[in-house]
Amino acid sequence: MLFNSLEYLIFLPIVFIIYWLLKNSYKKQNILLLLSSYVFYGWWDYRFLSLIIFSSFLDYFVGQKIEEAIGEKNKKRWLLVSLFSNLGLLAVFKYYNFFADSFASTMSSIGWEVNDLTLNIILPVGISFYTFQTLSYSIDIYRNQIKASRDIVGFFTFVSLFPQLVAGPIERASNLIPQIENKRKLSVTLLKTGVFQIFIGLFRKVAIADNLGIYVDSVYGNYEIHNGSTLLVATVFYAFQIYFDFSGYSDIAIGSAKLFGFNFNRNFNFPYFSKTLTEFWRRWHMSLSFWLRDYLYISLGGNRKGIVITYRNLLLTMLIGGLWHGSSWNFVIWGGIHGLFLSLEKYTFSALKIKTFNWFGYIYTFIVVLIAWIFFRAPDFQSASTIVAEIFSFNYGSLFIGNINSFVNAILLLCIGIAIDLKIFRSGISLEEYGVRFSTVRLSILVSVIILMLCLFYSTAENFIYFQF
Amino acid sequence: MNSEILKKLLKTVGLILIISYGLDKLVFFSLNKISDKVMTGQAIGKLNHFLSLKDDTDFLVFGNSRANRHIDVNMFSDNGYNMGVDGVGIAYNSTLINTLPKDKKQLILVHIDTKNFFDLNYDGSDIRGLKTKYQRDDKMTEALNKSGQLSQLQRIYYSMNYNGNAIGIIKNYFKPSYDFKTYNGYDPLTVSASQEEMRDLVLSKTMIDDNCIDELSINSIALDYLRSIKSFAENAPNKTFMFVTSPAYNDTCDIDNEKLAAIMQDLGLPYWDYTNLYKNTKDNSYWKDATHMSKKGAEAFSTYLLDKYKSNNN
Repeated sequence: MLFNSLEYLIFLPIVFIIYWLLKNSYKKQNILLLLSSYVFYGWWDYRFLSLIIFSSFLDYFVGQKIEEAIGEKNKKRWLLVSLFSNLGLLAVFKYYNFFADSFASTMSSIGWEVNDLTLNIILPVGISFYTFQTLSYSIDIYRNQIKASRDIVGFFTFVSLFPQLVAGPIERASNLIPQIENKRKLSVTLLKTGVFQIFIGLFRKVAIADNLGIYVDSVYGNYEIHNGSTLLVATVFYAFQIYFDFSGYSDIAIGSAKLFGFNFNRNFNFPYFSKTLTEFWRRWHMSLSFWLRDYLYISLGGNRKGIVITYRNLLLTMLIGGLWHGSSWNFVIWGGIHGLFLSLEKYTFSALKIKTFNWFGYIYTFIVVLIAWIFFRAPDFQSASTIVAEIFSFNYGSLFIGNINSFVNAILLLCIGIAIDLKIFRSGISLEEYGVRFSTVRLSILVSVIILMLCLFYSTAENFIYFQF
Repeated sequence: MNSEILKKLLKTVGLILIISYGLDKLVFFSLNKISDKVMTGQAIGKLNHFLSLKDDTDFLVFGNSRANRHIDVNMFSDNGYNMGVDGVGIAYNSTLINTLPKDKKQLILVHIDTKNFFDLNYDGSDIRGLKTKYQRDDKMTEALNKSGQLSQLQRIYYSMNYNGNAIGIIKNYFKPSYDFKTYNGYDPLTVSASQEEMRDLVLSKTMIDDNCIDELSINSIALDYLRSIKSFAENAPNKTFMFVTSPAYNDTCDIDNEKLAAIMQDLGLPYWDYTNLYKNTKDNSYWKDATHMSKKGAEAFSTYLLDKYKSNNN
């Protein structure tokens, strides 16, 4: 089920009403949340529910075993069971074809022809997200940072809670399980901030991102025939499309969770207002970047083992982060570009003994992010290279506009989106808390204006970009 | 949830429903006022212009961008109008044809894109291009309701009828794109010297149709709309219909063309398929891209079509 669908518009109020009718028993509420989360997921493909249920069973059981195991060796053994099982599922469903194809290409390049090893595998929606969520649960227990859950319904709800099931935020067990295993309350603050964030998210996704996507798709779909200026504008549009698409999704997820009394962690914090790439990664897809930092970068040694190992760890973390997004070398290159510039930044800061850049940093960060997005968006390495070469040839001709209505709408909505971001950014209050500033009447007027804007400018993209990951 | 929260929640929901409903109507009726005066632009101006002259015109062309770019109506009549619009299909055109006066003597050219008729994914959604006339024109409202292409929410929030078009309408209201009084709907494509190289590159990369199979079946929705035109034509004896497919640069599949020709024959509709008219000419100056002819190509084709029409009627 998509957040921007009529089904969700019906689903959310129904679950909300029944949920609060059961307010005297949080356990009954959890059963309702679990069942409705399975309906939410099964709406896409019920067969893949078995994977979520398997993953939930496995980590529920293994989590307790890690906690009960005596001795480091036994604890590690159970942790490895969790790591291999979860990553194994991910490897089969997400990466098998990628590695089989890469293997066949490598063999072919040295003269050995290999039969086609790829399989017709469907990528289950959200597998990367819930796998990372359950992995962090097992690792946290292993690190003695949390206790294993003994509430099976609560734990299953933690894995599959519908607002964050298919595209995050990747919630930590330390934040979410205590909320699930205790009574929730709906406060006026949660209500206001939740409603505000849901509608801002819808506007970001349905109006801004989807309208930008029309131009991006038409240019990237025929990149060979477009000049540098058109490709540059399309790439800038894509930078904002993916931001508004994914942050919009996160806003709807966090806002929906608030209506059920849950506080999710923040996932975006105006990432394009960053002076360094390091800052960008503290603001972009925060639940993933903090996950990679805590469970990969630090596990590899972080910055504790000398300068060379630190750079290696950074690069490796970003390469794996890139691969997490999808089974394509383009994502690896995307991660590699980020890893390389993060390392260069670290070196520059240490050599110049500075902590950040001046205003120039905003431009530098955006340019690096923009170049990396080309590899993220282009269908393959060759097309990405062609686009980069064309943009940097500085041979700019007249700009392709395409459908003038769509183009003007995209520009207008982008300006509105940036203006809203600037206003909230300058207020010093996070988007998650911004809604509390409004009285009920003002909030209703604001939401009504957003509804009107959605009516006038909605576009009909089928999916959220991050669903493919 | 305590009673204070419940009250707040009900108040918020109630206010949102009331304010958004009122705001929607305010914007919708304001846009109606503005849009009725807009006669330029593809979003609504061309449709308004067509509606204003359809009852008095001798020659009308219906179709998509290929019809719009390929048929010079002035060659056929001094009182003609090309109603070809980018991105529309048979659903849109059939609905417009059904708004014509039955008794008026008119020549109607319907441009047919063969591929669309065998595209099983075609759902008639191009009829949404008429949504600005929803609840304002009986025939279009009826067709839109029957098509099931409008969202249920559209029955509550009317401004959805202006989705994607509002800015274009306001722009054309204050600054019309052209003088509509001298506009006949035909928009030929010119190719500048600087565009020729890119055009040649695009033409050289024209893909071979790999979906050319005997088992192609016609889209039932498209067929229903075609039948609707036939039914209209049978009740309008003063009108002459011609169904035409204009040339394409390099159509590599003849099966669909032959199948469509057979279907048109079964329906008793006069159909001329010129898909491959310039296939072997190898003259790129006739083309803007693989599906659209340049002004030079369009004028050559219009002349050819007129000759054929005249020779058929003599």
